[in-house]
Amino acid sequence: MGATGQALREDPAQEITATEMGKVPRWRRRSRGPRGVGPTGRALTYLFGLFIILLSLFPLAWMAISGFKARQEVVRSPFQFFPEVWYVQNYIDILQDPAFVRALLVSFGGALLFALLSLTVNSMAAYAFARLEFAFKRVIWTIALMTMFIPHMAILLTSYIVVTRLGMLNTLWVLILPAAASGLHMFFIRQFYLGIPTAIEEAALVDGATRWQIFTKIFLPQSKPVFVVVGITSFLTFWNGYVWPLMTITEPGSSLTLIQPYLAIFRSERSVEYGMLLAGSTLAAMPVVILFLIFQRHIISGIRISGIK
Amino acid sequence: MATTTAAKAPAKAVRRKTKNRDNKIAFLMLAPGLTLLSVFVIWPLIYAWGVSFYTWSFYEDSIYVGLRNFRLVLNDPNFAASIIRGLVYTVIVVPAILTIAFIFANVVKSVGRSAATFLKVSIYIPTIISGVIASIIFVLIYEFRQGLLNWLLGFFGIADKPWLGSADTALYALTVPGVWMGLGLASLIMLAGLLDIPEDYYEAAEIDGAGWFGKTFFITIPLMKNIILFLLVTGFVASIQQFELPLVMTQGGPTRSTQLPNLLIFQRFTTDLYVGYSIAGALLLLVVLGGLSAVIFKLISSEKAVDA
Repeated sequence: MGATGQALREDPAQEITATEMGKVPRWRRRSRGPRGVGPTGRALTYLFGLFIILLSLFPLAWMAISGFKARQEVVRSPFQFFPEVWYVQNYIDILQDPAFVRALLVSFGGALLFALLSLTVNSMAAYAFARLEFAFKRVIWTIALMTMFIPHMAILLTSYIVVTRLGMLNTLWVLILPAAASGLHMFFIRQFYLGIPTAIEEAALVDGATRWQIFTKIFLPQSKPVFVVVGITSFLTFWNGYVWPLMTITEPGSSLTLIQPYLAIFRSERSVEYGMLLAGSTLAAMPVVILFLIFQRHIISGIRISGIK
Repeated sequence: MATTTAAKAPAKAVRRKTKNRDNKIAFLMLAPGLTLLSVFVIWPLIYAWGVSFYTWSFYEDSIYVGLRNFRLVLNDPNFAASIIRGLVYTVIVVPAILTIAFIFANVVKSVGRSAATFLKVSIYIPTIISGVIASIIFVLIYEFRQGLLNWLLGFFGIADKPWLGSADTALYALTVPGVWMGLGLASLIMLAGLLDIPEDYYEAAEIDGAGWFGKTFFITIPLMKNIILFLLVTGFVASIQQFELPLVMTQGGPTRSTQLPNLLIFQRFTTDLYVGYSIAGALLLLVVLGGLSAVIFKLISSEKAVDA
């Protein structure tokens, strides 16, 4: 009893010092299987796990498979998961629509550009906030942080007025520039930079390196984990964006129509082409799913860092 | 470091010097980010406050009207109704997400490592899917004639319902894709919090004879109080702002039953000649939601964030 109480009391202090990353991964210390739960509990656990997978993946699987169904087969009763005849034509047809392919390509290129710009702009600012001493630092940092809490709608409308006045409607710039700088990303990268030990850069400073050299030669090469998270988040934001492109790319059939507006327009204009619509949606979801699967480890551990810590 | 070599008297001067020593390079590196933030975030925000006191349109000179726009919004029964709808939507979505995320985290914790990875990846995938695609999928699942949901419910003897076509059910129908898309992030944050609880606590509790319920309610939940609070508030702020799903799935209908606050504001903005109403509405939401999330961020992420 006494020993237990002591362990309980002592542990928090140890945990505080041990919560830094790089400690023994928690899963290693975990026992297998739910503790103190009988076989029923274990079966329930796995059942629930299965249920979660079904819940999250079924709609997507259904979308991809239904892309192979003939138009009248997508929605039918009795329900059938697989098509009677695999109808590849949907995927071929949508890929032969030049507007669709263009929307995919423009979205992809735009998302790449956007992610690159976001990384450049936010990492430079993050470095300044993490390591440099300059006038009004506290005030500027607080303002940058505050931008994180502005609900989207509060600036969406006046942003639209601003870009209209700047003559940016129907240009590539209106899609890329407005959301590139982000207080959240600055914060996130800065947190990462604060964790980089100062020893190397102090040595470099003594050797006469400039701050810019330290940023490009010491910080950037170490930034991969945080850049993966910020870069992919930016890519996803651009790729999945619907409302802003809907508002700012106003010419019908514009070559800047992105993929989400394309799908929404397709849905309202050719509403009966269910199979083709789902084939197009599947193709539009594929790049982000693949990207996520490649980098899932980084992204998932990124959530751990950004979460609350 | 520098102060140790300096004499006592000019210490202050030295500190001031070190304080601003990197001015030039710092402002060069901050310039792109701060310029973009200023033009596309801070200026629109200030501008919004300015515009909200005027009748403003793209085509006319503006006239100062004081608080009239705010009064218009606050006296508008449609706005109040949209807030209620937003609350109903939120009260369904957020607890659902939290409950599933909590169970999910416990499940992941107790399965093997590869199963855990598989579970984490699967639950996060819907999060990266766009609102438009989610809408397309769920609209077809909800289809009145021979849709998947009605077919499933047919087994329980429930007659076909026009889920999105009826004002009674449309809002509730929207909560499902809402939960589906919001689950991933909440689950992973919940899991991170759960894994942070020292295993020793459970061992100690076990020695004292605590069962699953005891451990959950006396160790897990109290220790995850902060995380749960964080998820509650961020979840509230996120879902009360939801408007892409109703915009694509129902356009706010039928008979406004899915017109959530932001959708109302957005639709008024695109149809009104004068934008004062929509901007005032958006600002009212900003005050409440921005304040709420700033407070929670301050509470949880604490001094660490601001001590530049």
